Amino acid sequence: MTRFGWLLVALAAVAAVAAPFFLKPFGIFLISTWVVQTIAAIGLNLTLGYAGQISLAQGAFVGIGAYTVALLTPLGVPFLVAFAAAGLLCFAVGWVLGYPALRVQHHYLAFVTLAFTTLVFLVLRNEEWLTNGIYGITGTPRPNLFGWKTGGARDFYFLCLGVLALLSVATWWMLRSPWGRAFVALRENPIRALSLGLDTRRYTLMAFAIGSSLGGFAGALYAPLVQFIEPNSFSLGLSFNLLLMVIVGGSGNFFGPFVGALIAVLLPEWLRITQGYYLIVYAAAVMVMMAFCPAGVLGLAERAVLLLRRGSKVAGAIP
Amino acid sequence: MTAVLEVSNMRKTFGGIVAVDDVSFEVRAGEILGIIGPNGSGKSTLFNCVLGQLQPSAGDVRIEGNLTTGMRPCDLNRLGVSRTFQLLQVFPQLSVRDNLILAGQEHQGSMASRLFGQPDAGLSGDAARMIEFFRLSHLADEQAGSLSYGQQKLLDAAMAFMAGPRLVLLDEPAGGVNLTMLGQLRERLHAYHAERNATFVVIEHQMEFVMALCTRVLVLAEGRIIAEGKPQDIRRNPIVIEAYLGH
Repeated sequence: MTRFGWLLVALAAVAAVAAPFFLKPFGIFLISTWVVQTIAAIGLNLTLGYAGQISLAQGAFVGIGAYTVALLTPLGVPFLVAFAAAGLLCFAVGWVLGYPALRVQHHYLAFVTLAFTTLVFLVLRNEEWLTNGIYGITGTPRPNLFGWKTGGARDFYFLCLGVLALLSVATWWMLRSPWGRAFVALRENPIRALSLGLDTRRYTLMAFAIGSSLGGFAGALYAPLVQFIEPNSFSLGLSFNLLLMVIVGGSGNFFGPFVGALIAVLLPEWLRITQGYYLIVYAAAVMVMMAFCPAGVLGLAERAVLLLRRGSKVAGAIP
Repeated sequence: MTAVLEVSNMRKTFGGIVAVDDVSFEVRAGEILGIIGPNGSGKSTLFNCVLGQLQPSAGDVRIEGNLTTGMRPCDLNRLGVSRTFQLLQVFPQLSVRDNLILAGQEHQGSMASRLFGQPDAGLSGDAARMIEFFRLSHLADEQAGSLSYGQQKLLDAAMAFMAGPRLVLLDEPAGGVNLTMLGQLRERLHAYHAERNATFVVIEHQMEFVMALCTRVLVLAEGRIIAEGKPQDIRRNPIVIEAYLGH
């Protein structure tokens, strides 16, 4: 990444830290939602954007993570343990869900993961003895961590932001390691990758499992953020929304999920002035953007920077 | 001396079609074996059976005496068997350097150590040498997808050699390459062979390329071996002329 790119990242980080001091509670709730959705979208970006395995199951993993924390914390399990359990459970379930990806690809895999999301939704709705069914679970407490009470909106936002920072650094580390190169190889040419010694089976399962665990971590923060979870929150709509975030931001671009989640969370709010038509305007904007810039917002920005550079080179060459 | 590659009574059928029919041959260390034959004679199917991409219907494959029939391509690669494909198989969005590092990284340490180790898996030096050897230095940081077809063919071959394999199977390396680039490719393969005493098996239709590169040639037609011998003898063989080379 260029120096200018790092400068932008630093400015964005400063803005993210400063933002809650200038926002009302609803604004803080919105940016907290952005942080949580970004974590889930980073996971999907890993599975879909880098490793090329299309998944419509990320919303289900957010649900599994959320219910894990919502069910464990009232039993006296410390939040950090419940949080880790949510990630581990989703890692294990994601690993198992990865097996179909070894046999089917593209839209067939999308259907397999779609079926999984429906299955999770049905379990959450019908297994009332465990999940309280359509009545959901209320009052998941926000944790006290080593004396730090995160009950307030701002404190909880900083907890979410800290988790996002940690998970982002871990994901970035993984993607710049040989694993990142292997994931891209898996996306671009799995047969060639296999012939070069890559155990594509293990990397595919790992891409699913790690991506899913990030969904679980997002869910583990979502439950104490909204303090009321019910099955409809984790139906197919959420999976599609997360997919939209990854694609709109820039699939396979590390910062794509950050931008995509920002647009998906904030744009509908800004478009509320259009009242009942905001979803139509939002959908139309997404359709136009996808038609003219399939590489997402960051792809568009990269293209603009490239054109500017070329333009300045040409201008410099003219005597 | 044990053969580097030994194929015994290999047979592969697709439904009622026999693609490879009772094929047996050996490749000795340092040899460059050419496999020629008309389209549909079973050359690539034979390669795919040897390399674990297809499961043979019958027969055995041994690498340096060890039975490897049905072994997965990634495990075979880690045993020192490498290949190129008939159609271009580079990773277009990775740079030339990253394509080469990728081609060698799975031979370094374990999966866990690769996660926590250096981003280049300690292979930048090897990649630079391979880039220089295949005369791609000026393109090292370019995306592989932006290279010309011939340059991508060179990269494809370089990737097959990156992990220092004992045996390399090249499937139509000259296919679609212009004459200038073809000369360069042949010269580089010769140089690599001379430097490392590497063992090659080459499928090729470009007869001049085969005659200049290979030390022995095997001719397939309708899935069977119809002739085997030195390149100059194969060229004069009436059965081969009838079945493949023409008059």
